[in-house]
Amino acid sequence: MTREILFTFNGAEFTCAPGQSIAAALIASDTRELRTTRFGSEPRSIFCGIGICYDCVVVVDGVANQRSCLIEAKQGMKVESTQ
Amino acid sequence: MIIVIGAGPAGLAAAEAASRNGTDVALIDAAPRKGGQYWRHQISVKGYRSNRAGILFAKIENASSVTHISEATVWSIEKEDQLFRVNYLQGGQESSLTAEKLILATGAYDRSLPFPGWDKPGSMTPGAAQALLKGHGVLAGKKVVVAGTGPFLFPVATGLAEAGAEIVGLYDAHSPLRWALSPHAVLLNPSKFLELIYYARLLKRFSVTPQFKRAVSSFSEGSATISRVNSRLALVSNRDKSHQVDVVAAGWGFLPDLSLGGIVGCVQRVDTDGTAIFSVDDAQRSSVENVWIAGEATGIGGADLSLIEGEIAGLSASGQGVSPVLRLNRMRKQIFANALKRSYPIRDGWQSWSEETTTICRCEEVKMGEIRESVTELGAEDSRTAKLFTRAGMGLCQGRICSRNVSEIVAGLTHCAVTDGERIASSNRPIANPISLGLLGDGKK
Repeated sequence: MTREILFTFNGAEFTCAPGQSIAAALIASDTRELRTTRFGSEPRSIFCGIGICYDCVVVVDGVANQRSCLIEAKQGMKVESTQ
Repeated sequence: MIIVIGAGPAGLAAAEAASRNGTDVALIDAAPRKGGQYWRHQISVKGYRSNRAGILFAKIENASSVTHISEATVWSIEKEDQLFRVNYLQGGQESSLTAEKLILATGAYDRSLPFPGWDKPGSMTPGAAQALLKGHGVLAGKKVVVAGTGPFLFPVATGLAEAGAEIVGLYDAHSPLRWALSPHAVLLNPSKFLELIYYARLLKRFSVTPQFKRAVSSFSEGSATISRVNSRLALVSNRDKSHQVDVVAAGWGFLPDLSLGGIVGCVQRVDTDGTAIFSVDDAQRSSVENVWIAGEATGIGGADLSLIEGEIAGLSASGQGVSPVLRLNRMRKQIFANALKRSYPIRDGWQSWSEETTTICRCEEVKMGEIRESVTELGAEDSRTAKLFTRAGMGLCQGRICSRNVSEIVAGLTHCAVTDGERIASSNRPIANPISLGLLGDGKK
């Protein structure tokens, strides 16, 4: 599988195949923790994987609460953890 | 024109059937590709009788009257005179589409039960592990425990094993001997059992032997504790085994998504297993004129039943006749679906797995202790009040993951049964998906 898409997550560079979701690309690169929770600062990752649970939400190019399990990683995308 | 919402087995079958007499169909789906959660439009779908998917995909692609609108998340539906206006978000833009008729085929998602550590990274639903693998070609982890209950666990474990994961355990909380309670369902649906045998034989090649009457009771620091459970799902003995794993994939059947039909006002009822579903007639018509519903939202029954219900809905909505053979086939699959509920019941024993500090509502981080306190200290007498006190079910997922569990926990604490009204109320949402106020304000009306 070609890994031609380059994007950043919390400043670090990641590559993935076209069509892969942000969450899938990060998990494939052994990065599981996608955000920490508001109250308990607990680490969270993908849970339902199909856009139902909103546990994997990240900030995509400045837009908050984007489900990383659904959104395909695109060239030059800037992804950050919701704090 | 007919708008079909959902491009899984039911929606695809509906669109294909409606297109047979040239009726215009708009097929709207949130995913980039057709197939829904079940098929996920891979180039070559693997698994039992997977050629059906390819045939259906080809028929839809060749039907000139079907337009597929992908990556479109429907967030509301309005009724305007005799038309339905379907509002959706696509690529960050709000758009809408109108039609005289609607077919809702919005599918289902994994039901989850809380246990200590189910909110830790690495704990996910079997559907998530499946979606990562089938949809994105990514293994959720190298060492995996698959647990919960129901026949879906088998294909998930098989898929992960074939892709190179080590399945360190496959645990179903219920014994397969429970199928003996429904001999007629077994005799009428031999292919369903051939399917299970197909997966069990594949699993054997990877030295995976399913074990029964066991559940994952906690997950901490990569260690999954497997405990024996009785038929009520209560722990029989604690800590009888533990595995060091990357992933715990636990799923407890499925919950249908009722949001859109609820917004349109379709009448709902409670299924034999306590799941809120839509009432439909013999032709899959809902209580609202010109709205048909097919698939899991009319009762969890799997892809075979969804395909038949979708076909019936598509034929009926486009004014074509429905053959008695099709109706008979639906009845046969419904008998199997009812047996499924009887074989894999979710009884209240799971509530004993949680400690006071176990998260119940993942979005709002509400713990078991807080829900108990809302009943014992603050005097909440129903789940609605408990939710208002604790904010359980009020986060981004709008209670899709926790609200049924919260209702059942509160019912247990107050020694009441969850009422049908409560089950239906907690399955409905005023908007189907969160939308920012900015986008709402910019929307073209």
